[in-house]
Formats: sequence, C-alpha cells, structure tokens
Amino acid sequence: MAIERRMFLKQGGLALLSLGLPPGFLARTLFAESRAARTGRTLICIFQRGAVDGLAMVPPFGEDAYFAARRTTSIPRPGAAGGAIDLDGFFGLHPALDPLAPLYEDGELAIVHACGSPHPTRSHFEAQDYLETAAPGDRRVRDGWLNRALSATSCACDGRTLADRAAHAADHAAGQAALAEGSPLRGIAVGGDLPLAMRGPVPTLAIPDLERFGIDAGAGRGGARARERGVDPGAEAALAELYRGEEGLIAGAADESFDAIERLRRADPLRYAPAAGVEYPAGPFGRSLRQIAQLVKADVGLEVAFADVGGWDTHQAQGGSGGQLALRLAQLGQGLRALHDDLGDRMADVVVLTMSEFGRTVGENGTGGTDHGHGTCMLALGGPVRGGRVLGAWPGLDRDALHEGRDLAITTDFRDVFAEIVVRHLRAERPDGIFPGHPIDPARFPALLA
Amino acid sequence: MPPRAPIRRALCALLLAAPAAPAAGQDERADVVHLLQRATYGARPEDVAAAIASGRAAWLEGQLHPVTIDDSGFRARLEPLAAATLPLDALFSAYPTPRAKRERAGAADSLARRRLRDEMRAAGEASPRRIGAELAAARLQRAVYSERQLESVMTDFWFNRFNVFWGKGLDRWLVPDYEREAIRPHVFGRFEDLLSATARHPAMLVYLDNARNSTPDVNENYARELLELHTLGIDGGYGQADVEAAARALTGWSIAFRGEVPEFRFRPALHDAQEKRFLGHTLPAGRGIEDGEDVLAILARHPATARHVAHDLAQAFVSDDPPRGLVDRLAQAFLDTDGDLREVTRALFTAPEFFAAEARNAKVKSPFELVASALRLTAAEAAAFNGTFQYLRAAGELPYGARDPIGYPETAEAWIDGGAMLERMNLALALGAGKTRGVEIDVAALVDEARDDGYFHALAERLLPGGGAARVVAVVSADVAGGASAPTASAERALGLILGSPEFQRR
Repeated sequence: MAIERRMFLKQGGLALLSLGLPPGFLARTLFAESRAARTGRTLICIFQRGAVDGLAMVPPFGEDAYFAARRTTSIPRPGAAGGAIDLDGFFGLHPALDPLAPLYEDGELAIVHACGSPHPTRSHFEAQDYLETAAPGDRRVRDGWLNRALSATSCACDGRTLADRAAHAADHAAGQAALAEGSPLRGIAVGGDLPLAMRGPVPTLAIPDLERFGIDAGAGRGGARARERGVDPGAEAALAELYRGEEGLIAGAADESFDAIERLRRADPLRYAPAAGVEYPAGPFGRSLRQIAQLVKADVGLEVAFADVGGWDTHQAQGGSGGQLALRLAQLGQGLRALHDDLGDRMADVVVLTMSEFGRTVGENGTGGTDHGHGTCMLALGGPVRGGRVLGAWPGLDRDALHEGRDLAITTDFRDVFAEIVVRHLRAERPDGIFPGHPIDPARFPALLA
Repeated sequence: MPPRAPIRRALCALLLAAPAAPAAGQDERADVVHLLQRATYGARPEDVAAAIASGRAAWLEGQLHPVTIDDSGFRARLEPLAAATLPLDALFSAYPTPRAKRERAGAADSLARRRLRDEMRAAGEASPRRIGAELAAARLQRAVYSERQLESVMTDFWFNRFNVFWGKGLDRWLVPDYEREAIRPHVFGRFEDLLSATARHPAMLVYLDNARNSTPDVNENYARELLELHTLGIDGGYGQADVEAAARALTGWSIAFRGEVPEFRFRPALHDAQEKRFLGHTLPAGRGIEDGEDVLAILARHPATARHVAHDLAQAFVSDDPPRGLVDRLAQAFLDTDGDLREVTRALFTAPEFFAAEARNAKVKSPFELVASALRLTAAEAAAFNGTFQYLRAAGELPYGARDPIGYPETAEAWIDGGAMLERMNLALALGAGKTRGVEIDVAALVDEARDDGYFHALAERLLPGGGAARVVAVVSADVAGGASAPTASAERALGLILGSPEFQRR
C-alpha cells in the first residue's frame, strides 16, 4: 500500500499528464492544503510512558478504602494541608495539578477515570504497544491507531477508489473535493522518535527538535549539535539532485523529506513566540509542547501531534502531595496549562488527551511506592471537550471490586475514548477498522465531547 | 582448512547450476560483489579482491566453515565488552537481579536497602542496562570487524527469526547466552537442533511465557509462535486445535533456578499427560517431555517448515518478493538434507535466482545494515559505544530491541519513509563530516588520490561497489566545485553525499 502511495507521489505527475488532465489540477491535488488546514481540528496526544498512578493524579477522596490502602502516598482530603483540589465532592485533583483546576471549572477539562486496556498484561512494553496499536492482545497489528485515524480522515470523498490512486485522482479531477493526503505534516511526533502509535502507511514524521529539523550534518543523530537550523542548503540541494530522476520507494520517501523541509521552511513555525505571560516548564516535555504549539499556529496542517513524558514508574518513594510523583505532575500541569494559554482561541479546535499504558496497584508496596496495576485515568482538555466532569462509572476500591483483587478495575475501554475523539473531533469518515476487533459504538463513548 | 567433501560437493553444485563458464573479468567481479553485498556487511575492495583471487565458491566454502577463519582481531575488540561474553553465572553475579538484591537486603528497611544499593554501586555493580548496551555494541563490532562475516550475517538472521526481546524481565540477563549457545552454534547446523535449542533456552521460555505453561492453565503464547513464526508459517496448514495440542504437549517445559541462574527444567507435575492429536500424529497418553520433543521433531521435518524457512531466507537475502522458483529450490534443499542449514545456505548463495539481473541491488539496507556497511566500507575506527546507536534507536532497529516475536522486518517498505530518509541523509553527512561521536574515518587515506580519474571517482567506486559511481560523482563534483574551500572539506562533503545517495541505500 505504501509503495502505491509513493509510486503515486513519484510518478503520479506523469501518469496524470498521460491521462490528459490539466496541470492546474495536478498542482491542486499534490499541494492541496491538508484536511486540518481546512477543518483546523487537531488532536494532541500526551503519552505518560511508564504507567501513571491515576489514583494520585485524580484521587477518589470520597472513598475510605483509598486512605486505608495508601498510608504514605494518598493525597489528603480537600481542605487539609496538601489536600486534593475538590472537583465534585468525591474526586479531587492532585495539588500539583493546580494549574489545571481553573480549566476544569471553566468546563474545558474532563477526566475519564477507571479507564484503560482490558488486556491483563502488566508488562510495560506489551501494554504500551497495545495502547499504541489500540489492539490489546493482538500482536499481529503492527501499525498505530493514530496512523489509521489519519488514514480514515485522508479524503473527504467516497473511499471506494482509495485503493486505486489513478482512479481516485481522476474522481477529484471530475470535481470532487481535493485529495488531502499530500502533506507529510499531518501527523507529527515531537521530541523523540516516531512512536508505534503514529507508524503505518500514512506518512507521519518524527521531529526530535524543530530547531534542528532539516538537512544538516550536525543534525544527524549522534552528531554534534547544529550551530543553527537549516545551515546546509548546499548539501540539501546536492542530495535532492541525487534523488531526482530516481524512481521507487527510496526516492519517493526522499521526496517526502524534502517536501516536509520545504513546507516547514515556508511556514516557519519557529517565528511564533509563546503568547505573552506563557511559560513552558523547563526540560524536554515543555520544549515538545512549545514546538507543538508553534506547529499549530503556523497552520502546517497538523491533525495529530504526539509527545512523550516519562518518569511515572514509581515503584519506590512515590510520595504524596509532595515528592517524586508530585514533581512530575507539576511539570505535566504547568505544561498543559502553558499549551492551553499559548494556543488561546485556537483551543476551540484542539483536543489534548493524556494516556498511560496502565495504572498502579491500589495498595502500596514495601518501598513507599506502587507496582504495576490496571485501570488509571485520562485527562481531556480543549474547546470541544464538555469539561468540568469526571466521566466513567466508578467501580470503587472495595476488595471485591478490584481487578484481580489488587488493582483499580476498568469501566471504560480506552478504545472507546479514542473512538469518540476520532469520530466526533477528527470527524473520521471511514472509522471502521481503526480499532480491530472493536467495532465503534457511540453508546460506549464516554461522552467527552460536545 | 575446511573438510574436502563439502568443497567438492559445492563445486559440483556450482558447475551444475551455472549455465556456462562465466566470462571472466567484469562479470565475475560483479558476481563476487553481489555475493559479498548479501553475505557480508559490506564488500570492501580487499574482500572483493580476495574472493576473486580464491574464487567465489572457495570464498563461500570458507565462510560456511567459520572455525577455519582466524578472527583474533575481532576477538580483541570484544574484550572490553564483558557482558556480551561472560558465562551466565558470572553475569548474574556481576549484575544482580532485583530478586537477588532483595534477598541480600533480607527484611531490612528501606534505609538499609538504599545503603546496600550505594555499596553495590560503589563496588562497580552496574545496572542490567549495561548488559544490553554491551551486547548491542558487540553486535555492531562483529558486523563491522569480524572476518567470519557470513556467520555474523546468518546469526543475526536466525536470531531475528527466533527473536527474543532483550527488555522482558530476566531476558536482560539471558539474551547474551541465548545468542551464544542457542543460535550461533547452529546457524550452519541442523534446523532441528536450532529449534530445540531455542525451545529449551530460558530466554525463550521467559519471552513467550512457556515457563508458565502448565496444566490446566495452558498458556498458548509460545506454541502459537512456534507454529506461526518458527516453523510452519501462518499458511502452513494447521488449525487452532494444533496450537492447543502443541501448547499442551509443551506444558511443564519450564525453568528452575540454580542460585540466581534460571535453567531449563521439565516439570512432570505441570505436564498434561493425556493423549493429544497434533498435525495428524497421535501423542500417546502417559508420557512426559517426549510430547514436546515429538512436536519439535514433527515440525522440524514438515514440508511447510521447509517452505517457510526457504521463503524467509530468500526474502532476506534475494528480494522482498522472492521468486517462487528460488523458494522451491531452497525448500527442496532443506528437505533433501534433513534441514542441514549449511547446505541450505550454500544453495541460497549459489542459486541462479540469486545471481539474476533483477536481484542485483534489489534489497534496501535496513538501518543496521546501513550503519554496518558505512563503517565497514569507510574503514572506520568505531568505538564500542558510538553515535550510530542514536541513529539506530531513532530508526527503530536497536539490536535486541525488537519487541515482537516476529523480530525486525526484512523488507524495505517497513524501513523507508520520509522521516527515515531524512535520518539516513543526516547520518551520512554526519559520518562524512566526522561529527558522529566515537567514529573516526580517515577520508584522505581511503583511496589513492593519484588516480587519473580523480579522487571522487575512486571514493565513489569504493563505497558503491554495486554500481552507480559515475552518476553520483557527477552530482558530487558539481556540488563540491560550487562552494568548496579546503580539499579536506570537499572530501568530507563528497563522502557524506555518497553515503547519503540512493545507491548506498541498496545492496
């Protein structure tokens, strides 16, 4: 499938000319603004890699069992010193997430609790893979759900001809909406490598650092830091020349590289400074969020952005209102708040969603921490979110209610959260198959979005 | 020297397979280059010259008998990488597991535990991450510097085909031994021995959960992958009932601890001793380990296994969509020799389909192959831990980092997209410019500058033995003439462009 796409990229021009189609059509098709540029809708996924303790992030202070199970890591009741921020009289927000409290009050932040994967694995790598493929238990699924979501939003036209590129293009020439798969900037992972969630046939891009994106010997992984961005136009031109006139997979992909570089050069996202008064937290996570905001503001056609934030695997000395986990949560809260404030009015078309591979044990272990558990919670933030609510049925923390007698049970399958966002926010037109073996059923949606 | 009989057999096979005596000179050189581009991690000029001098068949024969090849130069490079070579006992004591740490700490409180941790750190006891890092370093060193190139290439192929993810639990300690004992000794041995060694190795028992496969709580994970990936293949004509029967036959194939070290142990109490039907065979009731042994023996000789192995070899070494005739030929070689992998490998690298025009330069290098060939062809001095690993991580092919049992892909489509090409081009420019940490390339010394047709041409021919040098040189010369300052700077730029060219991405 990918070969066909790249053959189209590489040879489509000639093929279409031979069909006698006008060159103007060609320009419109190949350089059509992507769908996000038309709809302006963006999903920003934040992966809390390492399994975050949902019971610390959004503590159920209304349960006595919570305090019984957590002698050193519980968050005190609202009003007490270091207490949780009361959300609804039962759930609270970790005090370190204080920057997010006003967003909850304003109805822009919702929480889905007791949420996660139905697969019982407690292995980080398996559970992360299952979250990213959105196919728990099925190792045969090798591409990511976000890539499949991009595929499902690829084109506004009838999907009937998508398998046949030439016929598809001809449909468009006959007057249908423009082919929207042209931009390699529809799906971008910022701050690291391309995660499994983004891998698949639709072109997506990892941008470890926007300031170093481009052809540059210094930007090579393992190389020294670049002096400045895009410093080597000579090498870029020479490499482009080396790939010109070549055909096939490698040359088509190289064209995508040069195309992405050129689009970013034109859009120049780095010229967007954070809004007045906005300060991203120091460190790689804050940096990733700032660059995602720059890409959104530059209208590069970003539909799905992805960033990792780690440090959640708190087996030892997790802490309560203060301590290790609180520091990580403070960074998360400050980062999301900065992103929200920086994007300003643009948040009307943005949903930010946090996720983690599983939660942690309800009880504490012998080293002041928690071990690998099951259910956790997700935060959803943005204009389209019907916020100010903690969603999902609460299974409770009584022993009988726990998963395998030890972990928070799951009442919302994470795929139903993803599915609602794919359908209602990204407006996927062909969403079937994004979640293999899990048909989309609006009745199971947590009702996150307006 | 290798035993004589196989040589004779190989020569006969070669003479029978070859349509006619090949025209000497350019054709033979092209054949040798093609062979070396697939059977090694990079066809250096000296390798090509040596293989031409000895003859293609003799070169292959030598490589098929790696013990006959002196590899002391590479051995010396392994010395600092102890974790890759230590026996299991020593490895487990040098890198204590969390379990061992807990036991040593006894019921002590967290303060005592912390003190113990600090003491261990002070005593130089490192985190198991070090094992993975040294193991990965050893793989790259071997690929670049070992003289036993074919053994290295085939070990990596078979490891990948019987993949174990380094990051799963005790596999952080077990994978070095798995490769050393279960894979490498068998790559030119019998497939059945390879299959049996992987089935019994604790690394596999942990990775695919067979250590926990017991009656009545049968765990099918290993049995399913055994049939689908290791032997018959997804279209190999088995059903769910066969998976279940294999899983039941393998109940009790478990591990036991000798001190810290997990070892294979068959546990009769956990074994399902009832009768089973597997692929039309009856495994009688009342037995023990024989059930699993029979399953492995049936699978190792099954025609579907022969076909599956043949397909995977042809795909990895000839073309992403291998010709049917080649798959048939290799499957037949497998069945004729009862799965003798030396014979099957010889059949692969002497097959007419292997040397067909459409097979030349038809494979795209994986990220690891790209790095290894770049270092090898540039005669680089690469430190054990060097900047290319950051590229490999970004490209998604860190050695021993494949999480899925299917291992890393052998086809181009999985490795090539816009982001990947950008990483490749930047890696190339960084290598050329000497900006890759821990990698030294003496650009000036790489080729004889006094050649008539120029330095760039000589450089391109060295790095692109498969062809395309002239085309690349035209672009490189124009670029360098356009804005070069110092001669060394232009040589560095030229090297970067050649390594970043489409020609260098292929083999």
